Amino acid sequence: MKVLEVKNLTKKFDGFIAVDNISLSINEGEIFGLLGPNGAGKSTTINLIAGLLRSSEGEIKILGKNNMKHSRYTKMNIGIVPQDLAIYEDLTAFENVKFFAGLYGLRGTELTDRVQEALEFVGLLDMQRAYPKNFSGGMKRRLNIACAIAHRPKLIIMDEPTVGIDPHSRNYILQSIHKLNEMGCTIIYTSHYMEEVEEICTRISIMDHGKVIAEGTKEQLIAIITNTKDIWIEVKSVEQIDIEKIKEINGVKTVSLDKNVIKINSEIGINNLNNILLYLMNQKVEIGSLEEREPNLETVFLTLTGRNLRD
Amino acid sequence: MKDIIWLIRKIIRVTFRKKGNILLYFGGPLIGILIAFLAYGGSDQQTLKVGIINQDSAQIAGDTVHFLEHLENVEVVKINESTLKDQIATGKLDCAIILGQKFSESIENGIPDHIQLVSIKGAEVTSFVKSYLYQYLDNITALKRAANGDPEVYQKMYDRFQQANFKLQVETLQDTSKGKNMTIMTIGFLLMIMLISAGNFAEIIMKEKENRTYFRLISTPINVRKYVLANIAVSMMVMVVQVLLTLLMAMKVFHIEMNVSFWQMAVLLTLFALVSAGLSLMVVSFASSSRAAGALHILITIPSCLLAGCFWPFDLMPKVVQRIAQFMPQHWVLETINQLQLGYSFGSLYLNLMILLAFAAVFFLFSVYKFGRNNDVRNFA
Repeated sequence: MKVLEVKNLTKKFDGFIAVDNISLSINEGEIFGLLGPNGAGKSTTINLIAGLLRSSEGEIKILGKNNMKHSRYTKMNIGIVPQDLAIYEDLTAFENVKFFAGLYGLRGTELTDRVQEALEFVGLLDMQRAYPKNFSGGMKRRLNIACAIAHRPKLIIMDEPTVGIDPHSRNYILQSIHKLNEMGCTIIYTSHYMEEVEEICTRISIMDHGKVIAEGTKEQLIAIITNTKDIWIEVKSVEQIDIEKIKEINGVKTVSLDKNVIKINSEIGINNLNNILLYLMNQKVEIGSLEEREPNLETVFLTLTGRNLRD
Repeated sequence: MKDIIWLIRKIIRVTFRKKGNILLYFGGPLIGILIAFLAYGGSDQQTLKVGIINQDSAQIAGDTVHFLEHLENVEVVKINESTLKDQIATGKLDCAIILGQKFSESIENGIPDHIQLVSIKGAEVTSFVKSYLYQYLDNITALKRAANGDPEVYQKMYDRFQQANFKLQVETLQDTSKGKNMTIMTIGFLLMIMLISAGNFAEIIMKEKENRTYFRLISTPINVRKYVLANIAVSMMVMVVQVLLTLLMAMKVFHIEMNVSFWQMAVLLTLFALVSAGLSLMVVSFASSSRAAGALHILITIPSCLLAGCFWPFDLMPKVVQRIAQFMPQHWVLETINQLQLGYSFGSLYLNLMILLAFAAVFFLFSVYKFGRNNDVRNFA
């Protein structure tokens, strides 16, 4: 069963095309990753799916129903975890979840039970009477999630839910996403952290400049670039290195710098390692280590968009 | 409807969890009553202190002083010339009367003269004494003329006049001006507090947009219309409570004579609450941030209250300002109260009420128009 169908969706803002004729289809039980650098159109797509924006063209169906014509029905079945915390500092954790759950029509003991269930799920039941202003960043993020799941939505949209939190809270949230998925929820997940997407998403869509430029499972996406390999060279200093010069070496497709590591994606079958090392030696760059790696999602992303995800 | 009530409960809970807000919303309007009381409350039954310097030893001068001493609400103090200026300047005396050496002689000659009245408080204080004193002197001068120059006849007539036993029935008319002034000041202050309150509630919309809870809210089955309606409902509820509280306190506790029935006042001010809610919503629909909305609201509220005559009588304002005031909804509330105090029926003032309704309608229409074109999530990223 298709939980979400997006057909030829376009959104224009005063002539600027934020989302450009994209089509997506998400099946029940999937954890769907939406990847893209800043300004790729991810948030606009999410706002369109959530019914916060009206599309310029195209159609969005949630559980088979148009999200604008049947907005109440579709909204009842969506839970949104926004990138920015959307909680009230003046209400306790319990009151926050209760308020949002109440907006979905829950009342009485059912409401209380669901609120406690949601707080327990995110590990905040003991803190239900506390105010969020006394919470850590991770606890606030978890409360943000509790507010989105208390009404038991079929589709949960999580927009960067792990931004700016400690590793413990991040692990907790990632485990929670797995649990929600096991409970039957379909999840759309956006993140800047490639390793998170690799770890939890069953299918991934890469967006850039408002378009979907690739879509598939992690393996399918990596297969797009099977004719390349990654070479990571750790150096002592990067001041003397000119990335453009390395790009000119035969077979080199992309080059990026991550602190002291030069990440090179190069075509398989072209022996250019000597030339790369020669360039570095000529520049008097001291090499710490050299590693040839299998391509991962980050390589795919870099190859397809020419940018790092966190650019 | 259930959704709206759910939102209303949340807004009330969040707002009044801060104790300061209870004081602001329900203590604020009462300040107007206190200010009105301080300004007008103590002006009843004041005794006028009149200093007398009598340089004339004749009988008429002595009788004149005696006459002044017997006036109600007048306390006569005999002073000398050396302390006159000091006592007038320091306010120990409201005024002083100097009867010159030839005062009695001028009366007997039929041309009253050699009398001087000194004050720095103006006609408001001196007119009362002047009026009584001049009437008394006119009577004596008239006796002199009637005696046709015969000193014996004049003396007889004068003695009889002094010993006359008039029967005087005193009817005290209620002075409604004080009550009217106190009403204007109390209601004027209330109007300002209502505008500020409505502004604060409308600003919640901007704040929720800024902290993103607004978009979280409208991603639920709640739509923008219900959300705004809930906000207006809370704003109206608070303002109606302010109105009822202020009227009850003013009429029942402070006993301010408003000369308008409680319910007429309540209906009129509830109409103004609608205007306030509409105005604040319009301000929010035009503003780009909660700070801008707050500043814009204050910029509109304070000058419009000043121009509309919320803090002083309308008649004291220059003609140009009076004309400008007609564009302020506050003016139409105060004008309607003024007309009701003059005895006009509530029904006959339907035009004033229609004007207030028109203000509310225009404000709400502008807000709806602007909100319909401002639903862009990018504005609040």
